[in-house]
Order: sequence, then structure tokens, then C-alpha cells
Amino acid sequence: MTSSPEAVSQFLSIAAYMGGLCFLLAFMLGIPRLLGGKAWGRAKNDPFESGVVSQGGARLRFPAKFYLVAMFFVIFDAEALYLYAWSVSVRESGWVGFFEAVTFILILLAGLVYLVRIGALDWAPEQLRRRREREQQHN
Amino acid sequence: MTFTVQQFQALLPLVITCATSVLVMLSIAWRRHHAFNTLVCMLGLNAALVSVYFAAQVGPQAVTPLFIVDGYSLFFTGLILAAGLASVTLINTYIDSFKYNREEMYLLMTIATAGGIVMASAHHFASLFIGLELLSVSLFGLVGYSFHRPRALEAAIKYLVLSATASAVLLFGIALIYSQFGSLAFSEIGPQLHEDARPIVLIGLAMLLIGLAFKLSLAPFHLWTPDVYEGAPAPVGAFLATAAKVAVFAVTVRFLLLEAIGALQIPAIFHTLAAIAIASILVGNLLALRQNNIKRILGYSSIAHFGYLLVLLLTGGPVFGVEGFAAYLTIYVVTSLSSFGVVTLMSKCGQDRDADQLHDLRGLFWRRPYLATLMTVSLLSLGGIPLTAGFIGKFYVIVAAMTFQSSWGWAMLAAIVAGSAVGIYFYLRVMVNLYLAKPGMHKFEAQLGWGQHTSGLMVLCASALVVYIGVYPETLMQLVQIAKAAGVQ
Repeated sequence: MTSSPEAVSQFLSIAAYMGGLCFLLAFMLGIPRLLGGKAWGRAKNDPFESGVVSQGGARLRFPAKFYLVAMFFVIFDAEALYLYAWSVSVRESGWVGFFEAVTFILILLAGLVYLVRIGALDWAPEQLRRRREREQQHN
Repeated sequence: MTFTVQQFQALLPLVITCATSVLVMLSIAWRRHHAFNTLVCMLGLNAALVSVYFAAQVGPQAVTPLFIVDGYSLFFTGLILAAGLASVTLINTYIDSFKYNREEMYLLMTIATAGGIVMASAHHFASLFIGLELLSVSLFGLVGYSFHRPRALEAAIKYLVLSATASAVLLFGIALIYSQFGSLAFSEIGPQLHEDARPIVLIGLAMLLIGLAFKLSLAPFHLWTPDVYEGAPAPVGAFLATAAKVAVFAVTVRFLLLEAIGALQIPAIFHTLAAIAIASILVGNLLALRQNNIKRILGYSSIAHFGYLLVLLLTGGPVFGVEGFAAYLTIYVVTSLSSFGVVTLMSKCGQDRDADQLHDLRGLFWRRPYLATLMTVSLLSLGGIPLTAGFIGKFYVIVAAMTFQSSWGWAMLAAIVAGSAVGIYFYLRVMVNLYLAKPGMHKFEAQLGWGQHTSGLMVLCASALVVYIGVYPETLMQLVQIAKAAGVQ
């Protein structure tokens, strides 16, 4: 950490900038409240969609499948990112790196096989029902 | 970077445990068959436990900058694997009555055990964090596994939110330490930590210790413990109390006692840790007094026990401290397995709660005399009564605190004495319930042939060990020399 005059003056200019920013924001939010009028009305609190009156509530029920698929996407995508680190150093990491990457990919594949087999990727209700019936027969 | 055969051999326990988790996953994918999946998991963990012996043959090895495999790490790897195996054994009969997917429990258990092993051999902040997350993330799933019970989701959410916060604090602390030293390796940070530490280093260390203290449920960060212990299925409680805590404590001790001994000489850090130790002992013992739930009592008791262990860490020094706390942790693991084991043997996962209320244990002696005897032995050991293993552990702690010769040493000693005295009361309170007249109706009953199941045999062995160590501690004292060797270097 340096404390030469140049550095201090730089910090001061940043501080002045931050101060100006805060003042401007407070001014823009505060002045209308003090000087502006306020209109009240029955339809004022309705959501406004380009002049169209909205229909129904926004609280729809989504099937949890979307959530599940989004989760798998994030997991596998994030795992695949690790391979970029390997791909830029394939030559340097040599055969050891290669086998480590193979192990990594195989473990990911095993995870995918597991997901398919437990029916996490079954999309249609028909498939799910059939699977459930099969499992009940097993038990 | 070269990777030699010796290094691979040293890493065998970890490799086998990780391979087991993949194998268990594939075997579930192949066929959902409870006995078969359990067999895969058990075989894998047993192989890993055996491989600890072969890993010990190659001597201390630094495997990549992240791991070090020496006597110390192998001792705790063995302990974590044994505790994990015992918990898996307990799960086997417990979960049979569970209506939903049973097999994933083994998967989560092996992953958590692998995380524990990573922590036991970590000497780098990166591997510490990876291990910690492997352990905690699989524990979130395990704690909430019996989701049909009202308490389970509460426990899982509490553990998830609080544990994630603690991990964030820990990570921030690591970042602050890194900003000053430019390294994440314990061995490079250690020598630079000394009494005139910069404020940023102090803040970093404090945040690091807050994160670790949360995972160990030390006093101001203990609030989650009783709720999570109560909501989690009993075998998971056993795992939380044993393997999870052993792993976190092993890495804490490696950092504070073996690598960065200077950190304890910083007055602010030492005073804070001493205050935390005293607070844990008092809070743990006092709050357990009015509890009617045996799992909550065991939770508070674990807070107090980790207070004792912190005293040992602060006063023992690298040689005696490592020996003492290896012995203490072994004793604590065996005792907890036996007490949680009895609760597990009484309960079934299919029921809406475990047999954890004191009145469920009422009159157990007249129904299942041997089970009640095992419970009595483990409670006596938790209280530190002579001729049980707990006494040997407490002996180590008191010797360390007495030879420390400072006012903090005496203060901690006073807290230990007061805490133990209070502790006897609530352990005896549970015990009295075991021998009262049996009630006319009871909801929970251990199976008649409990002693013929592997889980029953495991609990029997654990209790036998409690008595054996208490009567003849020589074996344990020789065993902990393996861990101590790392402290001498």
C-alpha cells in the first residue's frame, strides 16, 4: 500500500466521485418526493402491460421437471468447464493428464447412466407411470 | 508432474473410497436391490480400510501439493473409514422399513467418507475446502433423508443454510490469508505466522477458525447441533458425531499444531480459542440438563466433548497434544457409535420418529437387558467414569491442562471439572430411565434377534471396546503412536 501524494490524490478523486454519485442519486429520488405531486386512483396499482388488462395470476404451477433438467444442465455444464483447463494444456500434462481426464469423463458418464436409469430424465407422464408400475411389480 | 507408484499406493484408501462411490452408483443404476447395493458399499469400504495398511508401507509421502499421507493422516483415515463403515452397518437394518429409495443413502455415505479422508490428508487450503464441501454437501442429503418425518426437513434446511454460511466465512478467511502470503499451502503459510501478525492475517485466521468451529459445533456456533441431531436419522447422527467431526478436527489440528504452530502463539487467537473452549464445555453441559430427547442430549454432549478436545489442542503442544487427541477422538468415536447404535437398534426408518424420547427408553432394562447394559456403558464412558474409555480421554485432557502452567490453563481446568460434574447429572438421568419400571405401552421395541444382525454385533463390539480401552488402555496408547510420529518430526 503506497501513500505518495499522487496515490492520495487519486484516492481523493475517487472519493469525490463516489460522493457526487451518492448526492446525485439522493437528489433524483428526493426532489420529486418533495416537489412533485402524487396521483391516486383505483387502477393505479394494477400491473400495466402495454395497455392490455392482465389476466389471471402470475403464480403458475410449473412441473418440477424443468427445475430438475435445469439442475442437470448446470451440473454437467460446470463439470465440462474443467475440461477446458485440460484442453489448453494437453501436451504439457501428457499421458497422466490424459488418464485423469478419461477418469473424470468416465465418472461423469457413470453419473449420466445413473440418472437415465433412475428415470430422472423421463419426460412424459406416460413413461413415468410405466416405470412406477414396473417397480411395483419388482417389489 | 510425475505420479509414482508409491504415491498411488499412499493414496489407495482415498482412491478405493471414491471408486466405491462410483460403483455403488452404477450398481443402483443396474438394479435397485438393497442387499446387493449394501454389499458393494461394504466391500468397497472394507477394502479401503485394509488398504490403509498398504498405504502405511510406503512411508510419509507428499502426493501432489494438495495431499500428504503420513502416520497422522493414515490414523485418521482409518478412524473415519471405521466410523463410516459402522454407520453404514447401522443403516442396513434401520432403513429396511423405509418406503422410498433406500439405496442412495449408501451412495451419500461413501461420498461423505471420501470427503472426510480428503480432509484428513489435506495440507493445503484447496484440499481442505474440497473435502469440507464433499462432506457437508452429502450430509445435507443424509440429514433430510427420512423426509416423511416432520423434523427431517427442518433439520436439513437449518444445516444447509448455516453450513453454507460457515463455508462462505471460511472461504473469505482463506482468501484474506492468501492475500497476505500468496500461498495456500499450510507449510508455506505456517512459518510466516507469528506474534506480530498483520490485522488482515488476524481477521483471516479468525474467519477460518469461525468456519471450522461451526463444523465442530463449538460454543457460539453450536446452535444448529441439537436440532440437526434430532431431525437426522439416528445412523446419520452417528456419522455426524463421529466421522464428520473427526475429519474437521484432524485438519484443524494439522493446521494449528503441526504446520502453523505460530498461530497459537498470537495472543488474540489463543485467548479467543481458550474462551471458546470454556464456553463450549459450560454451554454443552448446562444446556443438556433439561433435555428430554436422547439425540439432543448427545448433541449437547458432543459440544462439551469438543470443548475438552480444544483444551487439549491449546495446552498439549505438538507431541502430547497429537497423541492425546488421537486417543480422545478414537474413544469418542467408539462411545458415540455405541450410544447412537442403541438408539438406532430401537428405531425403524419407516416410523414417524426415532426412539429418542427419554420415555421411549423407560424400562428398557426389563425388556432388553443387554441393550440397556450397552447404553449404560456408553453413557458412563461419555461421563468419563473410570474403567470406561471416557476416563482415559479425560485423563489426557486434564494432564495437558495441568502441565500447561498458566492462568488460562487453570481456568480451562476449572471449566472441565465443573462441566464434568454437571455432565454426570444428565447422563445419570438417562440411565435412571433405563432401569425404571417398564410402562404398560411402548411404541418402540428393538427386534428380538438384534444381536444377530451385523448392526447389533457392531454395537456390541463398540461397547466391548469402550470397556476394553477403559480397563487396558495400553493397546490404544500404542496405536496412537502412529499419529504421534507426525508431531515429532
